[in-house]
Amino acid sequence: MRGALLICKKEFMELMKDRKTMFFTFLLPVLLYPAIFGMMSKLGRNDEEKRKSKASRVAVVDASQTLLPLLRTEPTLFEVVSAPEGDVKQAINDEKLEMQVEVDEDAAAKLEAQQTFSVKATYDRSNDSSRLALTRLKEQLQKQDKTWVQARLKTMGAPADLASPTKLESVDAGGESRVMGRIMGSMLPYLLMIMMFAGSMQHGIYATAGEKERGTLLSLLATSLPRNQIVLGKLLYVFSIGILSALINLASLGISMLLTFSKEAAVNAPSAGPGMGSLSALANPATLALTFFLMVPLGLCFANFIVLMGVQAKNAVEAGSSIMPGFFAVMMMAVFSMAPGIEKMAWLPYVPILNVSLAIRKLFVHQGNIPEYLLALVMTVGLAAVFTWLSTRMLKRESALFKV
Amino acid sequence: MIQLTDVYKTFTVKDKRTRAKKQVEAVKGLSLTVKPGEIYGLLGPNGAGKSTTLRMIAGLMQPNQGRIQVCGLDTVEQPEKARAKVGYLSTDLNVYGRFTPRELLRIFGEFQGLDAKVAERRGMYLMEKLQLDDFADVKMEGFSSGQKQKVSIARALLHDPKVVIFDEPTTGLDVLTAKTVLDLLRVMRAEGRTVIVSTHVMPMVEEICDRVGIIFDGLLYGDASPKQILDDWGVKTLDEVFFELAARSAAEV
Ligand SMILES: Nc1ncnc2c1ncn2[C@@H]1O[C@H](COP(=O)(O)OP(=O)(O)OP(=O)(O)O)[C@@H](O)[C@H]1O
Ligand SMILES: [Mg+2]
Repeated sequence: MRGALLICKKEFMELMKDRKTMFFTFLLPVLLYPAIFGMMSKLGRNDEEKRKSKASRVAVVDASQTLLPLLRTEPTLFEVVSAPEGDVKQAINDEKLEMQVEVDEDAAAKLEAQQTFSVKATYDRSNDSSRLALTRLKEQLQKQDKTWVQARLKTMGAPADLASPTKLESVDAGGESRVMGRIMGSMLPYLLMIMMFAGSMQHGIYATAGEKERGTLLSLLATSLPRNQIVLGKLLYVFSIGILSALINLASLGISMLLTFSKEAAVNAPSAGPGMGSLSALANPATLALTFFLMVPLGLCFANFIVLMGVQAKNAVEAGSSIMPGFFAVMMMAVFSMAPGIEKMAWLPYVPILNVSLAIRKLFVHQGNIPEYLLALVMTVGLAAVFTWLSTRMLKRESALFKV
Repeated sequence: MIQLTDVYKTFTVKDKRTRAKKQVEAVKGLSLTVKPGEIYGLLGPNGAGKSTTLRMIAGLMQPNQGRIQVCGLDTVEQPEKARAKVGYLSTDLNVYGRFTPRELLRIFGEFQGLDAKVAERRGMYLMEKLQLDDFADVKMEGFSSGQKQKVSIARALLHDPKVVIFDEPTTGLDVLTAKTVLDLLRVMRAEGRTVIVSTHVMPMVEEICDRVGIIFDGLLYGDASPKQILDDWGVKTLDEVFFELAARSAAEV
């Protein structure tokens, strides 16, 4: 093992000499996620908050003054504006106002006579602000309707409860942590797989086909280090980079999420936001450890694939193009594993690599299934072992080393 | 001590046009012995099989047939131990551009299992001999081919190898640097090492080689001192031996 460690050390030393590559591999993701998350949440929040905080501009045609006073009592929701000149629809399209409300001329009389009067709202369905105005109007009318009905019932001598036969009360059985877990659980295997593969791919090519191309591999092979130790060293290097970049990406992602959600939680509901509690449930050490144990053999499989292809190739370009299909396969599997409802497929736990993302997914929604987890673990470890054996044998073949 | 007994090496190559697989016999039944304290010159035209022979001795390739021993160690049966005895240099071998010569030598010292202090001392000695000390701490990315070659030589000799295998050591070097290398080879001989070099440069052979073997089309012709060979063939320069061999093989076809 000494030889493998020495080779791995040399690879890391070489990497460390290249400041630029170091920056793009390790530092950029750390800076990237907080930036992306911060921007996304700011944009999202800003837009929605702005709309919600603004009263809808509504033109009201109400000769009998039945609804107008009601709308006037809610200045945070409605700003009554004068009716536009010319075409109303055009004015709404031009965002001069959000909605026009026309109430029957004899509305007051109809209300008195316990009849139905009509309200006509003109709005723009394609416009978020305009839709919000309609929603507000509907809610307002619903409340008012109830008051009126109760008043009518009273005059008839009936109990007011007659107006509301049901009362809906909803309780979230999953709880915030389950909701977050579901989102994270389906996203995380995808992110981890992609990051591990993509993060180590270039470095793997550099250390294998790249060394061949640059003519440095021969000087390694001429030393007294055993061949399989050289391959193992390269493997160890690619594997470590994969795990490292996955961890770095993950940590950065986690921290940015924590920051954004806790900020959002503070804004939305200072008492118990969706952020902190659920995230700490996600960061449950057992869940993370189990995830990590699965990712390790998977990372080894990826590293093997990369090293195998890199050693086979004549040069870096050839290596890159032979590794790409593998990357696409991993991406497809990762995307597939994000699809909703796939956890119900009975054969899924038997598909290598896919079963890893399934197992991780289940861990995060607290549906961990021990046999399935173990199956995924054993299969991946087995696969990694076979791959490792294959690639050490492959590098022993001189045709792989002296391709010209 | 280097000992080759009836060594064969065949490559399978594919003709891209006819898609037919073809056997290239690079080495056909080569036997030779190089003793400690001796410089052996392997001569031959392009594609004769010199590099292939040297690679096999260095344990980078395995013979299809025959036996190669380095210091009594079989290169197939005990590859690591045999390689530990060998210092190998070749033109298609490059240095790690991201390192400085000093860093490179430290790393290869570790690879060869040398004590850090010993490696440092030996590296300094070699860099001084090769007039590299001014560049010892400069990244090798911008090095000239001659500077790189010097670093490679230091790398090859770092672990004090009993057997020195140099494949075209003076290619791309100016006369001054070439002389430095030849002087170093003489030192190696004086230290009792077994040295084998390949080259096209005839004057160099006549100057330093104790014995020469001429490889032509995978076969070894002559295995004697340069002077002896000239006498045997009745020619004035070694180049003429080449012309003779080429004429013969043309006549055979
Ligand atoms: N890895 C390889 N794969 C296929 N054929 C090879 C390989 N290495 C060498 N050969 C073939 O073996 C023959 C001998 O090659 P070799 O490199 O030993 O020649 P050489 O004497 O060193 O020539 P030069 O003076 O040009 O360096 C050539 O025909 C070459 O094409
Ligand atoms: Mg050659």
